[in-house]
Amino acid sequence: MTSDRVRKFFTLFFVLGFFFYLFGPLIIMALTAFNSSAFPRVTPWECFSVEWFSVLANDDKLVQGLRNSIFISLGVVALSVPLGLAGALMLSQVKDRVRPWYYTIVISPILVPGVVLGISTLLFWDRIGSMFGASRDSFFYNGFFLTIMGHATFISAYTMLIFISRLQRFDSVQEEAALDLGATHVQTFRKILLPFLKPAIGSAAVLAFLASFENYNTTVFTILSESTITTFLAAKVRHGINPSVSALAVSIVVITLLGAALHEMLKRRELKAAKESDMIAKGKLKEHSKNVKRGFFAQPALYMILAVFVSGIGTTYFAGTMGVGECKAQVKAEKYIRVQESIRKQKEKAMFRDAAKKALAPAPAAITKPEEDKSKRPGVSSSFGNIYSTENLGGLAGSKDEKSEEPKKEEKKDDAGFGGMFAPSNLKNQSGSE
Amino acid sequence: MQKYWHDYFVKNGKTLGIGLLLAVLFWIVILVIMPQLFMVDFSFRANVVDARQWGTDAHYYTLEHYKYMLYGSANASGEYNTVDLSVFGRTILAAIFVTLIDLILCYPVAYYLAHVAKGGWGRLMVLALIIPFWVNELLRAFSFKIMFGANGVINNFLIWLGILDQPYDFIFEGVALYAGLSYAYILLMIFPIYNAIESLDKNQIEAARDMGASTWKIHRRVVIPHAKPGISSGATMVFMLSLGALAAPQILGGPSSLWFTQIIYQAFNNAGNWARGSAYAIVLLVTSIIFVLIVMKVFKVKFGDIAR
Repeated sequence: MTSDRVRKFFTLFFVLGFFFYLFGPLIIMALTAFNSSAFPRVTPWECFSVEWFSVLANDDKLVQGLRNSIFISLGVVALSVPLGLAGALMLSQVKDRVRPWYYTIVISPILVPGVVLGISTLLFWDRIGSMFGASRDSFFYNGFFLTIMGHATFISAYTMLIFISRLQRFDSVQEEAALDLGATHVQTFRKILLPFLKPAIGSAAVLAFLASFENYNTTVFTILSESTITTFLAAKVRHGINPSVSALAVSIVVITLLGAALHEMLKRRELKAAKESDMIAKGKLKEHSKNVKRGFFAQPALYMILAVFVSGIGTTYFAGTMGVGECKAQVKAEKYIRVQESIRKQKEKAMFRDAAKKALAPAPAAITKPEEDKSKRPGVSSSFGNIYSTENLGGLAGSKDEKSEEPKKEEKKDDAGFGGMFAPSNLKNQSGSE
Repeated sequence: MQKYWHDYFVKNGKTLGIGLLLAVLFWIVILVIMPQLFMVDFSFRANVVDARQWGTDAHYYTLEHYKYMLYGSANASGEYNTVDLSVFGRTILAAIFVTLIDLILCYPVAYYLAHVAKGGWGRLMVLALIIPFWVNELLRAFSFKIMFGANGVINNFLIWLGILDQPYDFIFEGVALYAGLSYAYILLMIFPIYNAIESLDKNQIEAARDMGASTWKIHRRVVIPHAKPGISSGATMVFMLSLGALAAPQILGGPSSLWFTQIIYQAFNNAGNWARGSAYAIVLLVTSIIFVLIVMKVFKVKFGDIAR
């Protein structure tokens, strides 16, 4: 029995650890967006602030990238929803012998690395453009056009999968009945098939939009000189990070989560519609119209979520703008005091050392000893390891300029806020990561 | 054949039939097949900078880009192109490693969610899994960069615990990259396995237990064989995506953990050598195809089971 309990405990521990692993990094990233520290981090926490969001809103390149991304995503939706639908409708109509091949070909873009898709799209249209002798301004060399083409290649396969699963429940007797009653094929398509597919079209469109909006691997090759939100983000992250990237991340996560919730909801509705059409097929038509007529905003849950969301943002915003100045001033003052304190200590020690040296050692030894210290310095791990070096002594005895430089340097080191802050390696790491 | 087309147009009507055909042809020919063929053609030709020279004599057929990957440039000192080849080999090994880590992490959790956790909690957990799935790959990598940085939470925590006395450079050592990659694609592993295990009839497990099978044996003989399609699908997706990842290596990769896609990217964007870039892209593509074929053979699954 005890071994059973131990096993249960371990399983639960493992599962909880797994969820912690999934959400921990995202939560930490979200928190860094609200810390006023100039480097994205949680410890030491300085001030709760939303200033990084306003930094974002004033970034023209970001706004431009966002606009481009939305434009491209809409283009991909407009292209890949019809293509996916056509692909799904065709699947049941190709010859049995051809079907596995057909399926393999249209599904393969999902498995082909995004980088390869981007490159092949770029090369193909570039080549076609040069064959036709098109000018550099034509659409063959347009980043938007290429990106939409590259994305549609594999996103159409996603939408097709959604349509296939929906079409499996379609009873083609309805179509035949319409045709027998004298409807044209186009009419049948519009009046029978499209209404049946409506929920699937909705979720396919949301999926296509999100997949395109999030894509980086293909976009980075096909976008050419333009920029999207993902290429902007990648450039920003690669060239030094600051909390405004976290703020951007929080915004994107919130937007995508809303989109994902929408997608889930559409999927639920689709399932519900599927159940309903089953009911209709069985002849239990009652209350059918009542259920279907309920509009999108008639759902109280959605209202609640929206209300919580808006009030949450409002509260955060006010909390983030109020009292930030005071808090920052306080943090600065604390830092200043700490810096002064450490300078004073340094001075004391140096003076003590200086005095001791003068008293104990003859002049030549005093010159050689600091040099030895200097050569050892990288290996010294104690907090104040470099205090005794010649530079420090020089700074103390030397001109005023050097003295005024000293506190500045220390302020930067002080950001670490931890023991061993004066170790030379610390300074190196700090500048390396920033 | 004629009968087929006749039936096709009788079934769909002229307008729709033609529209359907055009859409599918556009997708298959213009979007899927032709670009790949052009890329293959391109990779076997000499590199020309000016697009107007394409197809002229200056754009002759050659194997130089594939040779370059194997042997390096003609006047290089070494016999083989150790830089690119080692990056290629390390990328494959690392992708396999990432896949295995994800498999080991996901299988117990998927089993737990599918069979142990019951009712509302289980459903809520599965729903919660979707959230990180929707967060952009770049942002997930970024969150790992924050965590693993010199002043990141992990370093600070380890220093606070007293395990480290100086920040450890996780990014330089590649730890951050492997952790970030396994994190990025973990959900593509867990969902297929979860779906597969969930469809297993619980009575089978109980029957095995009643017959005296140990937990280990139940998993080996009952659960894992049933979950095979899910495992193969998840493993393929994770492997392919890690192999073709570009964002995570760019953000989390240290100087010693260059990824093969980064070499392709450099060939295109820094060296301006599109032909070599496409040759390398073909190598990447062929590697992925071989991997899928191996998985199909070993697990005895169909292609349709993998890509879902």
